[in-house]
Amino acid sequence: MNTARAELRKLLTLPSLRWTALLTWAGTALLAYAYGVTQPRGDATALAPLGYAQAGFLVLGVLAAAAEHQAGGQIRTTLIAMPRRLLLQAAKDLTLAAVTLPVAAVTAAISTLPAGGGTWTPAATAYLTLTTLLAAAVTGVVRHALPALVLLLSLYFIAGPLLRARFGAFSAYLPDTAALDQSRGAAATITWTVTALALAALTFNRRDA
Amino acid sequence: MVSPIRAELRKLLGLPTARVALVLGTLLAPVVVLLNAPYNRRALAAGTLPDPTQLGLRELGVGLIGALVLGVVVVSSEYTSTGDDAPGARQLTATLTAVPHRLRLLAAKTVALVLVVAAQAAVTAAGTLALTQALHGEYVPMPAPARVVAVILYWVLTALLAYAITLITRNGIVPLTLLILNSTVVSVSYLLTKVTDLAAYLPDIAGAHMFLRTEDFPVELAPVTAGLVMTAWVVALLAAGAVLFHRRDA
Repeated sequence: MNTARAELRKLLTLPSLRWTALLTWAGTALLAYAYGVTQPRGDATALAPLGYAQAGFLVLGVLAAAAEHQAGGQIRTTLIAMPRRLLLQAAKDLTLAAVTLPVAAVTAAISTLPAGGGTWTPAATAYLTLTTLLAAAVTGVVRHALPALVLLLSLYFIAGPLLRARFGAFSAYLPDTAALDQSRGAAATITWTVTALALAALTFNRRDA
Repeated sequence: MVSPIRAELRKLLGLPTARVALVLGTLLAPVVVLLNAPYNRRALAAGTLPDPTQLGLRELGVGLIGALVLGVVVVSSEYTSTGDDAPGARQLTATLTAVPHRLRLLAAKTVALVLVVAAQAAVTAAGTLALTQALHGEYVPMPAPARVVAVILYWVLTALLAYAITLITRNGIVPLTLLILNSTVVSVSYLLTKVTDLAAYLPDIAGAHMFLRTEDFPVELAPVTAGLVMTAWVVALLAAGAVLFHRRDA
């Protein structure tokens, strides 16, 4: 319980996370407006801004996980206070999910409500939270913010669309298909996130800090 | 002026992230051409591919991420900590001790970045277009040399754009997110062109018109005008970055 409280305070006092959340909301509102002006109301219009807004959540996950590994080695202090690594990692994942959930809910609402797609809000909130956890897990393995971010963004915004355009049947296996088509990609998002979290926990447990 | 440029070139080419960006950025476009070859051949034979003459030029776009990353890390590497035990120590301190004249340092950095990105763009463009010729030669004519030069210019200007934004933010996260998000298939700038005609003057939309022709655009920019618009953006942002770099504490 103490560990969770400590992790929560660490996350809430990171200024970069606050900025990311604010910029994500602003960007989503702008996109929702752009889609609202040009496209008819409907499910596709409701979910379209989320395809871009998830970049903010990737950044959120990357920054939250990379903060521990920045120069200065905060992770070593953390491990002195809490040497049981798997428990620590679990606390980290849970607190990140708890912090992300409200940010994701607001983003999902900004995107879906104006286009009359309110029924999608809970699913979109869950998707964005899972995406943040996936990004944090990848960063936990990579340990540096910039390379992790380039990897994730190019997978989500360059490789993903290319693969979906050419191999349509393949899209149900990609982690980001659910952003635009919740019925097809949900299982993939959950599987990818859980696998990445497990891998991150294992490497964190075995590797030198 | 030659030795700071040589130093900056060695620093840039010594960064692991920059090396990955160089290799991947150069290989990505030819690999995409190869992967898309069966699909494109069928579409070309059936005549369903829109605007087949620009096929090679369009598929070059994916490699641009390499130029973006190069533009960002050439600045952000100066601001990251040099070691775990001295979180306040940054490479920029050492760099400024060696070259205290800040604008001269910035000029050397800019030249080094332009050289590396131009070389990468030339190799990638030549490889990708030659591969497209070899695979789909009967449908896709070789683009005019002026267009190939325009592509190289577009890569260099895009790298400089990333570089200028990083000079202002002093942190790679913001420019990378912004620019990678905008290089996706349906970019944010493209969406904005649906809302307002003015969005046609955004740097990435205008820049692409240096070598691509599109039909469904509200404002059709001539290639030279497009190049001037993008150059104006880059010059303005670079000037802002240079002023800040000159005035701010390192």
